[in-house]
Amino acid sequence: MFDFPPPQIFLQLSLNGALGGAMYGVAAVGLSLIFGTMRLIFLAQGAMIILAAYFVRALFQSFGIDPFLSLVIVVPVGLAAGWLIYQGLFRKAAVEEDRNISLLIAVGLMFLAENLMTVIWGGNTAGVVTSYTASGIHILGIRTSFTRTMGFLIALAGTGLVMLFLRKTLVGKAVRAASEDITAASLMGISPHRVNAIAFAVGIALAGAAGVAVATTFPFNPFAGFIFSLKALVALALGGIGSVAGALAGGIILGLIEAYVQFFVGGSWTNAVAYGVFLAVLMFKPEGLFGRPYKKA
Amino acid sequence: MANRLLEVSDLEVAYGDVRALWGVSIHVEAGSVVAIVGANGAGKTTLLRAISGLLPVRRGTIALGGASLAGPAPEAIARMGIAHVPEGRGLFRQMTVLENLELGAFQPKARANMRQALDKAYALFPRLKERAGQKAGSLSGGEQQMLAIARATMSDPKLLILDEPSIGLSPLVVQQMFSLIETLHRQGVTILLVEQNIHQALKIADYAFVLKTGEIAMQGTGAELIADPEIQKAYMGVLEL
Amino acid sequence: MRASMSIWAVIAAALALLPFWPGAIDSYAFSFLFFVFIYAILSQAWNLIAGFGGQISLGNHAFFGLGAYATAILWSGNYLWGSLYESHPRIYYFDPVTMAIAGLVAALAAALVGWPLLSKLRGDYFALGTLGFGEIVKVLFVNGGDFTGGAFGIVAPSSTFDTLLPHYWTGLGLTVAVIIAIGLLMRSRYGLALIAVRDDEMAASANGIDTLKVKIAAFAGSAFISGVAGSLYTYYIFHVGPDSVFDLDWMLLPLMMTVVGGTGTLMGPVVGAFVMYAVFDLARIVVPDYHPVVSGLAIILAMLFLPKGLARIGFGLPGLVRRG
Repeated sequence: MFDFPPPQIFLQLSLNGALGGAMYGVAAVGLSLIFGTMRLIFLAQGAMIILAAYFVRALFQSFGIDPFLSLVIVVPVGLAAGWLIYQGLFRKAAVEEDRNISLLIAVGLMFLAENLMTVIWGGNTAGVVTSYTASGIHILGIRTSFTRTMGFLIALAGTGLVMLFLRKTLVGKAVRAASEDITAASLMGISPHRVNAIAFAVGIALAGAAGVAVATTFPFNPFAGFIFSLKALVALALGGIGSVAGALAGGIILGLIEAYVQFFVGGSWTNAVAYGVFLAVLMFKPEGLFGRPYKKA
Repeated sequence: MANRLLEVSDLEVAYGDVRALWGVSIHVEAGSVVAIVGANGAGKTTLLRAISGLLPVRRGTIALGGASLAGPAPEAIARMGIAHVPEGRGLFRQMTVLENLELGAFQPKARANMRQALDKAYALFPRLKERAGQKAGSLSGGEQQMLAIARATMSDPKLLILDEPSIGLSPLVVQQMFSLIETLHRQGVTILLVEQNIHQALKIADYAFVLKTGEIAMQGTGAELIADPEIQKAYMGVLEL
Repeated sequence: MRASMSIWAVIAAALALLPFWPGAIDSYAFSFLFFVFIYAILSQAWNLIAGFGGQISLGNHAFFGLGAYATAILWSGNYLWGSLYESHPRIYYFDPVTMAIAGLVAALAAALVGWPLLSKLRGDYFALGTLGFGEIVKVLFVNGGDFTGGAFGIVAPSSTFDTLLPHYWTGLGLTVAVIIAIGLLMRSRYGLALIAVRDDEMAASANGIDTLKVKIAAFAGSAFISGVAGSLYTYYIFHVGPDSVFDLDWMLLPLMMTVVGGTGTLMGPVVGAFVMYAVFDLARIVVPDYHPVVSGLAIILAMLFLPKGLARIGFGLPGLVRRG
């Protein structure tokens, strides 16, 4: 007979799912920004997150810099790297009508990053172990790890900062304007290249922050990024393409779905269910679960 | 001649292999209202889009106070002092009225005067102040057109380009629109206007050009063209039915 | 046009005669060309839906995998030839019936998925939908139990060929057949309709073209060709597993090869497959430790400096001009 699990289990699953899903969410926010301005599915976002995780690990192992403290290094480096990646790799392709070109550059960048990591750090699974890695927090009788909670807070803070930037600053408003209508934005004197570069800078900086969260929480390897990109895409679709808060919420929902499917159905089905939900949302609610109608690209 | 702000000469524009403009020359004096009229498909919108850099120039020159506009990107041309209200208005519908207006003053020169420009726009369009926090997409058609024009004036442009401002509006709102354009004119704004409402356009225009299948067929002051029997027969007869 | 294509006919004939060159069969060039054929076929398939049809599919690796699995399942379960299999143990090798079924299975899947996807999703959303579809198919096969062999997959019963000669000729023949079929197709009324849908769906629909039907047919055609390529690969690799035949590379590499060669051209995918596979293989031989790095760099450089594909350089070769 099937015993109905105790209610504690639901709390624990929800918490695990939400904490893990926030990682997808923060990756999705980056994807959302880049897709918004460039209409580019930046498949390399997951690889950028893993690259940041290795960077965090290197800072920790070589210089003893605490992973969470390394945020003050990783985020500015991410901003600069994103700006450079746009100027060096995507600027020329951004004006081409054929958007396959940008997509392929993203794929090339992903290959390049994955394999550079393999060459430098080897293909084995790596992780960051600190004095507090094993420590836990008890909330309402359920246990969660300190690092996962920190990861969740980083995701929340990163998303919050991006939202503030987009809503409160004129440059942020220009990014939103360009996402909605690039031609009209250019008639306001807004340079598409500048907006694209900003989206990339912020997107990669977010990947840096996510890298810190991943490095402290999960074991990772150079090729773990792609599945991360896919999950971020699912989160993006769930939350509604073009909505930053929705992307984070979409990630959390995806995390919840995965946690419950894993417990009740089995680990090997989580991906199929996740992508099934993804397809269903794309087909029946393309504006996302709580999104406004979005102009179809 | 002395105050010639915009000078387009011998302009040729094409979409792929299809030429849309054939050696078009127009000019706009500083402080005037100039209308471009003509049938659908004559190339009016194409001309405006070429001026603001949205379409590449194949041959000929476009100059704003001596500086060439053939070549720079649209955002650079906007910063040189051209504000273009495109066909369909180009509002950021998901953003608020206030945010739309702020973006009108995005360019560095205008940003410094944002406060004054906003006050000026609200004085001219009091409705927009009431709706400052509302999404642009939720406004009525007339209000959206007002917002589009107000946004374009935020940068205090040398030349304001309006593409069919009266399209899709009720007759009453069309009247408001034209009186608004006259008000802007009195305030010293130079306006280049494309209109399907030919009678109204010629009435307020200091000078006008008639475009016909990609070429300038006729030009003259607004009053001259209104009186022209050929214009009356070809365009206004139909419209005033 | 017919006369100018003759240079490709000469190349095809030379390739067909290559095995008779002394020592050619044992040379490395032989297996190299076999893989070029597989990628050329896959690139043609992707070009049909994306280049000519304008619908970016990111799920074509699923069709490749379906074709590979169909072949391995038919063969290992001996579902087709019954007792004939006992007397003719090689009957499943390059068996046209098996290969056609492999293609049809993929085409059927494409039609079933394409119908809802293509009627509801446009542009990027279709691309994302096909990407999700590809991942779902993979998970289904991992969880398919004995029928699909689970996470390990299926090992085809036999591996008794000593040379790649049959692989080589089958690959070459299929490549030529696919080129001719697509060339004829794009000249037909259907091809014109497909290009019309790509260039302006509304106008095409206004002209009485059933755009959904045209797109689904192109998607199914693309899947059929991919499935046949998967079948061909099975005869080479024998072990069909979810991680190998549903690997994203089976979609990404042909996509890249097509873009490098020239999307929407007849010979671009073939040229792209040859050039890019040569670059990858060269990198693998010259800098074995770094070859995937070189591959990534090659893609980026190709896109930065040849964004419109080798086809736009043309080399004066026919079949590299974009139609439409």
